[in-house]
Amino acid sequence: MIVKQRAYEAKEALLMPALYAAQREHGWMSPEAMKSVARALDLPPATVKGFATFYDMFRKKPVGKHVIQLCTNVTCILSGSEDLLSMLSDKFGIAPNETTTDGRFSLVAMECIGACGTAPAMIVNTDFYENLTKESIFSILENYK
Amino acid sequence: MITITINGKKIKLNKPVTILEAARKSGIHIPTLCDHPMLEPFGGCRLCLVEIEKMPKLQASCTQQVTDGMVVWTETEKVVEARRAMLEFLLVNHPLDCPYCDKAGECDLQDNTMKYGPAIGRFKEGKRKHPECYDDPIIVTNMERCILCSRCIRMCSDVQGADAITITNRGNKSYVEPFSGGRFDCEYCGNCITVCPVGSLMSRLHKHTYRPWYIEKEVETICSFCGVGCSFVAQIRGDSIVRVETRPDLGLNKGLLCVKGRFGFDYTVSSARLKSPLIERNGGLKQTTWAEALSHAAGKLKEVKEKYGPAAIGAIASGLCTNEDNYALQRLMRSVIGANNIDSTTGFFYGPAQRFFEDIFGQGATLNPMQGITNSDGVFVIGADPSAVTPVLGLQVRAASRKGIPVVTVGHMSGLKRFATCSLNPDAFSEPALLNMLISGLMKKRPVCGENIFFEDIIKKFMLSTSDNISDACGLGKSDIDKAVDELNLMTNPAILIGRQVVQRSDASVLLLQLSVLIYLLNGRIYLISELPNDQGLVDMGCQPDTLPGGRPVFSDSMRKRYEDSYGAEIPSAQGMRLMEMIQAAHEGKLKALYVMGENLLLNLPDTGYVKEALLKLELLVVQDTLMNETAELAHVVLPACSWPEAEGSYTNFEGRMQHVKKAVHGEAMEGWKIISEIAKIIGVDWDFLTVVDILAELTKVSPVHKGITYSEMDSGNCLWPYNGEPLRDIAKDFVLPDTKLIKREKCSGRSYLSADQQLFHSGTIGRNSSALNLLMPASYARIGSALNEKLSVKTGDTASISSGVKSAELDVIIDPDIKGMMVFVPNTAADKGALSFMKWSMNKDFKNPALDGNEIEISKLRSKAEEVAA
Ligand code: SF4
Ligand code: SF4
Ligand code: SF4
Ligand code: FES
Repeated sequence: MIVKQRAYEAKEALLMPALYAAQREHGWMSPEAMKSVARALDLPPATVKGFATFYDMFRKKPVGKHVIQLCTNVTCILSGSEDLLSMLSDKFGIAPNETTTDGRFSLVAMECIGACGTAPAMIVNTDFYENLTKESIFSILENYK
Repeated sequence: MITITINGKKIKLNKPVTILEAARKSGIHIPTLCDHPMLEPFGGCRLCLVEIEKMPKLQASCTQQVTDGMVVWTETEKVVEARRAMLEFLLVNHPLDCPYCDKAGECDLQDNTMKYGPAIGRFKEGKRKHPECYDDPIIVTNMERCILCSRCIRMCSDVQGADAITITNRGNKSYVEPFSGGRFDCEYCGNCITVCPVGSLMSRLHKHTYRPWYIEKEVETICSFCGVGCSFVAQIRGDSIVRVETRPDLGLNKGLLCVKGRFGFDYTVSSARLKSPLIERNGGLKQTTWAEALSHAAGKLKEVKEKYGPAAIGAIASGLCTNEDNYALQRLMRSVIGANNIDSTTGFFYGPAQRFFEDIFGQGATLNPMQGITNSDGVFVIGADPSAVTPVLGLQVRAASRKGIPVVTVGHMSGLKRFATCSLNPDAFSEPALLNMLISGLMKKRPVCGENIFFEDIIKKFMLSTSDNISDACGLGKSDIDKAVDELNLMTNPAILIGRQVVQRSDASVLLLQLSVLIYLLNGRIYLISELPNDQGLVDMGCQPDTLPGGRPVFSDSMRKRYEDSYGAEIPSAQGMRLMEMIQAAHEGKLKALYVMGENLLLNLPDTGYVKEALLKLELLVVQDTLMNETAELAHVVLPACSWPEAEGSYTNFEGRMQHVKKAVHGEAMEGWKIISEIAKIIGVDWDFLTVVDILAELTKVSPVHKGITYSEMDSGNCLWPYNGEPLRDIAKDFVLPDTKLIKREKCSGRSYLSADQQLFHSGTIGRNSSALNLLMPASYARIGSALNEKLSVKTGDTASISSGVKSAELDVIIDPDIKGMMVFVPNTAADKGALSFMKWSMNKDFKNPALDGNEIEISKLRSKAEEVAA
């Protein structure tokens, strides 16, 4: 793993970016991924695990090729994200936190992603989409093969 | 002066403390769940809320500092209401399974709920479910009960420094877990169990075997594993110790323990426990009566003495035995047998190291109080990893490091890796070259000051020739040396911790002299890493071939006379044989009888094959021990002695603190000192020792340093060197400069050397009989580094074959990337595969101890773990 320890005074400060890098490589926060971060930063593995499991955006289990993270917090729900969620579930045959059998998509019901003004919103992998409608959501997902 | 009022009571304080501390000091109880005296204030549970006049809101007393004139109420209606509310929240997820929970009866949550709380909550939602976890052999976790006070986490990170556990996830789903989620794979100190206020972290060893209120007796005593001498309370039910508990204010360990002290005590009830005397008959050991065993041992001793003279008899003392036992053995040898042939494995490291430093710096130079480590401004560690062999001492080094004190370590030290500001890991056996560079670097920055002309003369004579090629000399870079010198130069009164590896080698005197120079230059205080509970006591009791009790030299007529008068017998003036000399003498047929007390020679001596040959040649081998072992199997008479919790006595720890070891349970065997005095009586000398009090009384009369010591003084916890006695002073004039030519070694690269691994979970001799400790380290192994593994290409768990000049065996391999070069570390815990059994030795000419350096071995891959599973 390539993480340079430059601008950071304490190793802990580097933990979040290191975990992201590890997740990019390993796909999720596998024990090996957490251990490699611990080794790279010379931090106790348990400390790394505490961090990694605290944040929802670090995956606790393997995910598909693309991760659909649909916000299901108050504003998005009021703007119809619950319907969108059940549509996605029906279409791909998976419940939230599950992965399609072909490994293409994982579906995640997210807490607030800070887009209340343009709700409903979702993040696919690291791409952000807002003002979603029943139509737009599927055409967006078409781009993720 | 600060004056505050709590519940109407005026309290005067010299310095600002927290309200909680002030209340505790004046005997006012405030309930807490997250605060603990062994931890820093946290302010998480809000149970300690109190009302402070002129403050609108309730305040957490564990974090709120007192100010002058503050008026505090701890049990007002408002406070009680708030506590009830906090408890209701805590119980939202708590299973309230008290009838099934081992903590019931000593649970802070239970007690506080009983006092303040509603036992029923208003939440309709179900409680979280998380099954009790039995993945770990020692620690059971029940996370349904956890109140997330984080005491365990803070203990493990901030005090123990193991950082083995964490709170995973978030909110409702937060659980305390080790990295694996199941097995802890940690240092197993159990200190997290001590601080958990509820039944979330518990010892599996006594799970569901009793209730706290079934404890019939509590005995404050001293741990029997290492030279730190931690205090704890042994809890007794029937005639066995069910658990050991600590108190935050008890002993020098202040509530902390290590894995051996906390979980290892069950060696005293292992199946290897000796209960009745055995005598050798027709080639086997048979049970016999005390009368027969004692009279056989005594009769044979007398016979050998008459036939071959007293010098044909030797005795081995033990740092595992009490002062009283060691004193009695010394008296038997000197006054009844009439020989100074008494030594022990303490003479391999602790004894000679202490003597060396005392010769230079005066008697007692190595006896310094433990808290000096965290109060110093630097720590230098060499020769052993204190966090493995003397774990609570290791914690002091970690605490010093946490305070920002520079810590310099020399050698492979896994336990201090994250705590050293500078870890120097030189090539095998190149420590003298490294120390040379450190000293000359330091002397450039800090010239000698003329304080001790005598010693400075020695320093000048002791020419330091530093090699230009640093990497060639010790395998380190110039920047490493410079950094270390800079760190050392910051120190003005550092703690210098010295362990075994420094002395068990052929150039020990060079290293010790170098260390003395370093100590002198740095104005350091010496701490010897004492591996046995009574290394110091054994030395003080005169169980060395050249010293009498109190450290008086045996060759001094005036001093010897004092003991002769008291014993009514003549003591030979010539120094007796050292342990390895006795073994050699036995091998040559010159030593005819050996009395071994509490020592397994076939585990703790090098080249055990040779030792065994020597023992087999003896006309009489008496083994007095608590556990059956390989040495006892060869004995003519085996005398079962009381084990550590079964007899009264005392240990003297590495600080020179004498501590009272109390009888906690009844044992079937006989006290060690009593066995010895019975033998003396049969030979014809009656000592009139009825209890240990008589022995201590005699010791305090004959030994000038031990004047007037009593067990109650020991109980006060402050029976510290130099007691009320007269230490020897000013012997430095006699100091003879050892041969300080650096040994030329062939370049070690490419060869593998064997070293004894320092094991946290094991103490060898007694530890291997603890079923609890054996759960953690079931078998012997070979730990190797990456460099060696490039050659071997094995994986952890694979089996390798290891052979030295004297022995070959198979061992499973553990890969440890921190090990430098080609070293192979094998623990000395199993007699058949212990590190020492592979080792050749040579007699160190200065200390007459076995030098173990340069033990080359062959290691090769035998089979991989996968193959084994398939087969
Ligand atoms: S037993 Fe000791 S090292 Fe292990 S988790 Fe508990 S506190 Fe940490
Ligand atoms: S396990 Fe015990 S000590 Fe640790 S957070 Fe939970 S209740 Fe507190
Ligand atoms: S540090 Fe030593 S004395 Fe203390 S508990 Fe551990 S083994 Fe016992
Ligand atoms: S004890 Fe004060 S907040 Fe927990």
